[in-house]
Amino acid sequence: MTVEDVHRTIDAVWKLEAAKIVAALTRLVREVGLAEELAQDALVAALEQWPSQGIPGNPAAWLMTTAKRRAIDHLRRLERLERKQEQLAHELEQAPEPEPEQGDDVLRLMFVSCHPLLSTEERAALTLRLLGGLTAGEIARAFLVSEQAVVQRVARAKQALADAGVPFELPDGAELAERLSSVLEVIYLIFNEGYSATSGEDLIRPALCLEALRLGRMLAGLAPGEPEVHGLVALMEIQASRSAARTGPSGEPLRLHEQNRGRWDPLLIRRGMAALLRARENPRPPGPYVLQAAIAVTHARARTAEETDWPQIAALYDALLHVLPTPVVRLNRAVAIGMVRGPEAALAIVDELTGDPSLKDYHLLPSVRADLLARLDRPAEARTEFERAASLARNAAERAFLLDRAAALPAAPPDQGVTLAEAAEAFLTRDDLTPSTRRSYTQTLHRLLRALGARTPLTTLTPDHVARAFTTAWPDAAPKTWNRHRAAVRSFTDWTSAPPRAWLETDLSSSLPRHRESGAPRTPLHPDEFARLLARPDIPLRERALWSLLYESSTTIAEALALNVEDLNVEDLAPDRLPAAADLLLGLAAGRTRGPVFLSDRRPAPSRTPGPADLCPDTGRRRLSYERAEYVFKQKTKPLDPSGRGYTLHQLRHARPR
Amino acid sequence: MRYLMTTKGGAEADEKLFAEMGAFVEEMTKAGVLLATGGLEPRGLLVNSSGGEITVTDGPFLEAKDVVAGFALVEVRSKEEAIEVARRFRKIAGDGESQIWQVFG
Repeated sequence: MTVEDVHRTIDAVWKLEAAKIVAALTRLVREVGLAEELAQDALVAALEQWPSQGIPGNPAAWLMTTAKRRAIDHLRRLERLERKQEQLAHELEQAPEPEPEQGDDVLRLMFVSCHPLLSTEERAALTLRLLGGLTAGEIARAFLVSEQAVVQRVARAKQALADAGVPFELPDGAELAERLSSVLEVIYLIFNEGYSATSGEDLIRPALCLEALRLGRMLAGLAPGEPEVHGLVALMEIQASRSAARTGPSGEPLRLHEQNRGRWDPLLIRRGMAALLRARENPRPPGPYVLQAAIAVTHARARTAEETDWPQIAALYDALLHVLPTPVVRLNRAVAIGMVRGPEAALAIVDELTGDPSLKDYHLLPSVRADLLARLDRPAEARTEFERAASLARNAAERAFLLDRAAALPAAPPDQGVTLAEAAEAFLTRDDLTPSTRRSYTQTLHRLLRALGARTPLTTLTPDHVARAFTTAWPDAAPKTWNRHRAAVRSFTDWTSAPPRAWLETDLSSSLPRHRESGAPRTPLHPDEFARLLARPDIPLRERALWSLLYESSTTIAEALALNVEDLNVEDLAPDRLPAAADLLLGLAAGRTRGPVFLSDRRPAPSRTPGPADLCPDTGRRRLSYERAEYVFKQKTKPLDPSGRGYTLHQLRHARPR
Repeated sequence: MRYLMTTKGGAEADEKLFAEMGAFVEEMTKAGVLLATGGLEPRGLLVNSSGGEITVTDGPFLEAKDVVAGFALVEVRSKEEAIEVARRFRKIAGDGESQIWQVFG
């Protein structure tokens, strides 16, 4: 065996064992980050020793034993829990066999790595790392991000778990349902990233699907009593069964009814059906994954597209909408209704969804709409919608497919004149615009092109179309931003309707109200409310100190954040000048001699370490940023603000009666 | 990727072997690796096509050591993982031969 062969064997054993090893070590050292590092040490030891000493008889056990030794060495070094170490060392010598609770530990590890306090990306990266044994490079390639980004995600996630002291436990009661749904979400996200790659060139990245399937099957083995787990597994097995049939000879996506059903993998379909049956053994009302799996199984049962039981699917979507009332489910339900009651009924539902801001960039909405329009024999509109869908699709194969569908339809009759795209192009390339104005207009018009369709004839647009595009695109825009976009449309209307062009006869901005900018009546933060806020038990010391300082002194926000411990002098802090802030600041700086007074909650990732001036020499944490300080204040004051937006630190500075 | 593994020969099956093999199959299924597995009858059927003529006979008649006793279809990330699964299987099954083929499509 060459060294390379040995390395590949080690990699294989590691990937099969990583979850168990990291879980066992987490049980010992009680911290996933540390457990993973110690497990990595064992991996490094294997890489050093196996090429020269040969692969051990039981490679998995070797890795586990070596990793546990590292963990015990670590605990010894810490010189704590002396009695426990002896017990552990004893256990280790006694029982090389898998411990009965090993499965539970893997399940605990899954719950920790999918903890809701982490961002979805962090959860996905950490889960693939800890439970799939993937390297940062492998995860990076799967998600098409840089390796550095994955390293950072994993490091941030471990730090956040350590900071929060997340226990290595199985959640119970009401928490179990919430935590479990977080785990399922992560697994399904990994699956979907592989199955319908949202970006890049390939439609499917099979490695990710496989990882997700394995995680799901593993979870089903560990938590067999949870119907939603079986539901998710069933859903993934059935979807994966279509992998081979989903693309045509040149990689183009094939829709369900176009697929060669003979290429569906019957083994996976059978596994999916079996998993759904297991889910249904539980008398609880079916959850979102079970219902989605039931829909997938209904499709799988139909030997031809014509045999599809659409009434059953529409009924399942009705049930799904009750437990998962999302716009995407509504859209899919519309497709089913289109098959049962005809395209007209479906189009009515889809049209309602076009005003939903959360779908403004979702290419399947115009794509479904286009399909329905084509079936209603409205080809020109269908073509515009397919083109719009293509401009929103992030996956190259899907984009090409949508453009093909558009090209297969007749374009709008040529006598309809200038299209929106042509008018916008002419408007933006005129030579009397300053660069900054052009940039600003471009932003507005590009958003309108995406919302209304580039090839839409200008004369068919109405002020209501534009108004709807505005409320969908910028539902929460600040008045100033809204007005800037509105001004762009006004200028566009003026220019396109002026001679010699005279392309337009209506004022497209006439349904756009001007929003009131600053000076708008806002309820200021009341001093009494601020006092109550400060007294709340959930406000950390750092926040109380910063807010009091801003409220009681004329210090600017930037100055306050720039304060260092060595700058705090007793005179400035005289209690008569800063009645509340003085004590709070001293409390916050207690035990420190220098460095920033206000520190962030976490240590920065290695690559983001700031200069020494912004780093606390004692804790290694960085100076609190303006953005973070502002965010926390806004969040905490949201309940106090009648407008629900929360107050800014700037408003806090001006809240004090002077 | 998927691999088909077949097995020939092995130690006399006793209770211990059954228990260990059962635990192994359980573990691999739980890990999402083992998709399907089964035993094969010692003698099957032979379907032969010769000059377009199909004949069906009993057989093949093999020596005991050449009888394919069972198969497993596994889903793994790499050839090395497939080998590792086979290695663990042989540790339990005892001396004998396993053959591994990657399955396409």
